[in-house]
Amino acid sequence: MSKILLMARLTWQEAWSRRLVLAIVLLTVGFLGFYLLGVHFLDERLKARAAELGRSDDLEGFLIARATVVTLGMYIVNFLGNLLAVLVSLSTVSGEIDSGTLQSILPKPIRRYQVVLGKWLGFAGLVALFVTLISSGLLVGVQILTGYLPPSPLEAVALMNLNAQLLLAVTILGGTLFSTLTNGVVLFTLYGLSFAGGIVGAIGQLFRVPLLETLHRVSIGILPSDAIWRGASYYLQPAELLNAFSEAGARGNPFVSTAPPDPAVLLWSGVYLLLALLLGVWVFNRRDL
Amino acid sequence: MLAIEAAGLRKVYGGKAAVEHLSLEVAGGEVFGFLGPNGAGKTTTVKMLLGLAYPTSGIARILGRPLGDLETKAKIGFLPELFRFHDWMTGQEFLRFHGRLYGMDPADLERRIPEVLELVGLLGREKERIRGYSKGMQQRIGLAQAILNRPKLVFLDEPTSALDPIGRREVREIIRHLKEGGTTVFLNSHLLSEVELTCDRVAIVNKGQVVRSGTLDELLSARLEVEIRLDALGSELLHELSTIGRLVRTVGPTVYLEVPAEESLPKIAEAVVRSGARLYALRPERVSLEDLFVQLVEGGAG
Repeated sequence: MSKILLMARLTWQEAWSRRLVLAIVLLTVGFLGFYLLGVHFLDERLKARAAELGRSDDLEGFLIARATVVTLGMYIVNFLGNLLAVLVSLSTVSGEIDSGTLQSILPKPIRRYQVVLGKWLGFAGLVALFVTLISSGLLVGVQILTGYLPPSPLEAVALMNLNAQLLLAVTILGGTLFSTLTNGVVLFTLYGLSFAGGIVGAIGQLFRVPLLETLHRVSIGILPSDAIWRGASYYLQPAELLNAFSEAGARGNPFVSTAPPDPAVLLWSGVYLLLALLLGVWVFNRRDL
Repeated sequence: MLAIEAAGLRKVYGGKAAVEHLSLEVAGGEVFGFLGPNGAGKTTTVKMLLGLAYPTSGIARILGRPLGDLETKAKIGFLPELFRFHDWMTGQEFLRFHGRLYGMDPADLERRIPEVLELVGLLGREKERIRGYSKGMQQRIGLAQAILNRPKLVFLDEPTSALDPIGRREVREIIRHLKEGGTTVFLNSHLLSEVELTCDRVAIVNKGQVVRSGTLDELLSARLEVEIRLDALGSELLHELSTIGRLVRTVGPTVYLEVPAEESLPKIAEAVVRSGARLYALRPERVSLEDLFVQLVEGGAG
């Protein structure tokens, strides 16, 4: 265990020393500042409009506007979290095989699985910190500015974390199998496929085409990241918003879902994450360096 | 106890054998030179011994234990040929990290770090980032991590490739120092003069196999080339000399003769004097490791 922690610490030290942590903090602050400024202007306008009409600003339309802004903001946060998880770990094993840094580590008394799990643990902490900070920053920021907080923020943030962690585990697996460049291409293709699968599924439901819904299920089998986000999006929308997206309308929506997450999808995501890690360890164990 | 024993090691990459039935024995405490042309399988062999690559077949033991044994790994050191380290660390952070990887006691590690820094000539530079080190300094810090744990066996893969002549001499001193401390040194090199100066025993590999091994004396004293400088060279004398050894060539009145042993030298002198020629020089020279190396490698096998 201490060797795993040693590798995790190395990952953190490297992130710190290469100013990755600093970049993450600055970008988080930058993104939140930019988005919250937009929210602020929107809310000013809403309040001014309410005042013109001589009404209070708790109209249902206002609630829907605020909820939409938060949900779409979280959609971007989810994407950024996934992107970060992939980018920070893209060259984890492959890059270190290429650069040769592993050649001075592996002959020492450390098991290969400890190297992989240690690196994973280090990145997992970094990714969790980023996703949690930026998503709660957005939620708290909007609440301070407008007083609006989604109905189940904790569930949503937890699912967004699961999403980023899933992609991290898959990227680490990819690093044991492919070169850095190939790994990046494979990851983004899978991610695109998952996103496309979600849209295909929504359209299939809208027009009742079972074949499209089957394709959707296949895409979840390949990578459930879009399904996890849709699950998270359910927790971000108040009943008014869920109702506002009329049954038919919401079903074709490429961004959000009006149904709670399917437990089977969540279970599969957890199993997927574990399998990716175990497979990564297994592949790396057998590799010649 | 043998420091390294390998029997029938074989490694196939994509259908092509990089190492073919390689057998090797390195005794504890000796400095062992592992020689061969580029692509002969030296680095692949070292990688297999260190657990970086898995043998296709064959067995090997390090310090009496099978490959991959964690306790054994704590007792070995390795300087890779392509020494690339986490260059965002300072020299000191780097050594601390590797000391923890070895599982060294923290107090001992803090004592040991200045010692190895001094040994490799980097004391005073340990607060600088490795990124800013010259190539030679990077090789030195690599050497420092290889000997940090006071290893029983250390693998040095081309340890002087980035060093100037002074640095090379210092590395020879370090190797001597390690040997005095009882450490076995496995030196992978194609700098033959270096090997001649430092190694007790050598093995020459070609095409993935050991083609010759033994102590330097065994390998080199078998043949002796003698330069015989005369005032004049008669055909009778030439004939007589060619019965003592193998005639290599003549340059004017100078004869180069290959003889089996030093015992032939007085015979040459006698023959020259008997013939009435005047002898200006009788200079025996051992066949160099380089000559032997070229002969073995270009001649195919041993």
